[in-house]
Amino acid sequence: MREIGIDQLDDLARGAGILGTGGGGDPYVGKLLAREAIRRHGPVPVYDIGEVPPDATIVPVSGMGAPTVLLEKLPAGTEELTALRALEAVLGRRATHIVPIEIGGVNSMIPIAAAAQAGLPLVDGDAMGRAFPEAQMVLPTLIGVRNTPMALADDKGNTLVVNAVSNHWAERLARAACVQMGCQVSCADTVLRGDQLRDGLVPATLTLAEDLGRAVRLARAGHADPVAAALGVLGGVRLFTGKVVDVERRTTGGFARGRARLSAVRGETGTLELDFQNEHLLARRDGEIVATTPDLICVLDTDSGEPVTTESMRYGLRVTVIGVPCDPRWTTPEGLALAGPRYFGYDCDHRPLPAA
Amino acid sequence: MDVGPTNTDAALVTRDGRVVATAKVPSAPEDPVAGVRAALGRLPRHELDGVAVGLRGAATAVTRRAGLRRVAVLRICGRSASAVRPLSGWPADLRAAVEAGAAIVDGGGGLGPEDRVPLDREAVRRFAGAVAGRAEAVAVVGLFAPLDGEQEREAAAIVRAELGEIPISLSADLGTIGLLERENATVLDAALSGFAAAVADGLAAALAELCPAAAVFVTRGDGTLMSLAYLARHPGLSLGSGPASVLRGAGALTGLADAVVADVGARRIRVGALAGGFPEVAVGGAEIGGVPIGVGLPGLIRVPRPFDPAELAEAVDRLQPAAGRLPLVVVGGGADAVPGGLHPEHGRTAGAIGAAVSPVGGQYERIVRLPDRSALPAATEAVAEEARAAAVRAGADPRHVEIIEVTDTPLAYLPGPFVRLRARAAGPPSPL
Repeated sequence: MREIGIDQLDDLARGAGILGTGGGGDPYVGKLLAREAIRRHGPVPVYDIGEVPPDATIVPVSGMGAPTVLLEKLPAGTEELTALRALEAVLGRRATHIVPIEIGGVNSMIPIAAAAQAGLPLVDGDAMGRAFPEAQMVLPTLIGVRNTPMALADDKGNTLVVNAVSNHWAERLARAACVQMGCQVSCADTVLRGDQLRDGLVPATLTLAEDLGRAVRLARAGHADPVAAALGVLGGVRLFTGKVVDVERRTTGGFARGRARLSAVRGETGTLELDFQNEHLLARRDGEIVATTPDLICVLDTDSGEPVTTESMRYGLRVTVIGVPCDPRWTTPEGLALAGPRYFGYDCDHRPLPAA
Repeated sequence: MDVGPTNTDAALVTRDGRVVATAKVPSAPEDPVAGVRAALGRLPRHELDGVAVGLRGAATAVTRRAGLRRVAVLRICGRSASAVRPLSGWPADLRAAVEAGAAIVDGGGGLGPEDRVPLDREAVRRFAGAVAGRAEAVAVVGLFAPLDGEQEREAAAIVRAELGEIPISLSADLGTIGLLERENATVLDAALSGFAAAVADGLAAALAELCPAAAVFVTRGDGTLMSLAYLARHPGLSLGSGPASVLRGAGALTGLADAVVADVGARRIRVGALAGGFPEVAVGGAEIGGVPIGVGLPGLIRVPRPFDPAELAEAVDRLQPAAGRLPLVVVGGGADAVPGGLHPEHGRTAGAIGAAVSPVGGQYERIVRLPDRSALPAATEAVAEEARAAAVRAGADPRHVEIIEVTDTPLAYLPGPFVRLRARAAGPPSPL
């Protein structure tokens, strides 16, 4: 057991931003909420997966909707707890632990705030190991864990419990409800038992995010290469260092799709093309695919190591693109069906990352 | 005119943009009007249609924590957004200089009118009573006010009924989506109301005497102008206006709409970009006096002098705003120190020239859900109309206001599609 206090939040948020692979929402607002909750209720205990009793009830708590709206409609800070209580009411039992559903982006921070308010410990891990856009894209789906009942709560005090025939259907219904509830809601869903954590979570990702954020910060302070520091923690491969020379965006089927072209700088040659939707999903070097979802494609500002989101991609940015292997369960046929390139509408198969 | 910290510049410019004469005089500390008076006296006597003045005093007042009014903050958002209190995260000394109470009351808008929560008018009255005697100005910040400013106006009317004549800043006039940053900008705007009123009165009096037939305008951070009356109501909009008018001036002197501009001062070089004739704004939000304000200030890279040519070249390259290399324009009092690039005549007073040739501006934004792409033009036209109206309120000639920029950005993680529409309008200053 360790604790997350206010002093850890900056590093954790920076690391979570990088693990958001261009999406997941800026952890900034989540950090403010977590800081406020810890100030009021004290630091949050964090347990390793192995420390959690097999009969424990672990509830992922998260936000769903548009990060842009979250910047305006800052949560009251009680919605997560409202969603949790609504879920507990239909489950007929109380949560014993909280866990992030995704480590990438703002959803790394919201469970910290929720755990502080609920007086519950966190489990060190998450259900994706990165950020994904839809509720069924979690490892528990692969082991037959249902994401329903799914409780949603809005800022006005409304709650809704979704029961659905599949995890995909729950996503569909919840996303439509989310729009009606003001485009930003809090969710509690995908309940895990203690003995399901090994199969249902990517372990130790809260620690990973904090280590990552700290390594980048220290490298920058010591005038060392922050991207190398990030790779040292993540164990990925540097795909390209370049400059964004072209960004193209369009809206199809309601989701924003874009493509960015990078040209070489600093001893690099050739070009890299990035395809993104909410996250960076595909990287082609000189026309050849070098990385695809579900592996993590992280775009970092070359000088600062700060994550570059898909929304902020623009001409002139100096970025380094790194590829980080996803959790191996994502590259099974079932994992790829949930979150591989074809699910996102790209006509190609997943390809392992090149050797470092 | 351009009132800088060291010098006040003036340029006499014809209606079609020809520079007739320029002047440079030392600025008077703490007295921008004295510099304006002196510099104007150095220009050949001429019947002036208008005077446009670039002021940098607003930013200085915030960074020095001097001459600021005490502000009471009313946030209209009920339970939503209540997790983070007003002014949290401000530097302690600035907060101490400005804070005069805060309240969060029920109400607030949403993405659509059906999301609106009724305003708790009684709570607004209690807020006004509680801050009476302490507050010298009031900042009113409503949830989603940039999309629906009705409740901010309603609350302001209640506050005014309780407290009488007191400066009230409304967030819808100042910022965009992003509650905390817009709130910060609104509080600074209210805090600057005393400074702005004094400058506006001083300028109006001095110029009424020196050039009674001239309409008077001041520069804004987005590179456009606003009337003195608009400055008095929205001083926050003048933040960042100094660099903006230098960029505009560099464009006017070279006839370029797109360029990278190096403004060479005595102690540093400020490099910025001009896109479509206007300053490219900073990515990731602007900050002033240690407070994030989210208002679109020009994005600048500062290179200290004496400078390393490689560092300057890197800064210039970073600010290339679009594919293809744009020309570099070098202006400012120290322009001779930078070889290469275009060195236009009168570049030493680019800030004053930029003020003289700039239009009056206004902007508006809205988030809409479109049934399909074909609904975009109608939605865009409605937003453009609001932007035109905003420009006219700021002092633009209604007969000649044009839309200068329209953007549509889909919101991530939402079906719909939900699109954020933003329009900017500009027109020549309305004659007196």
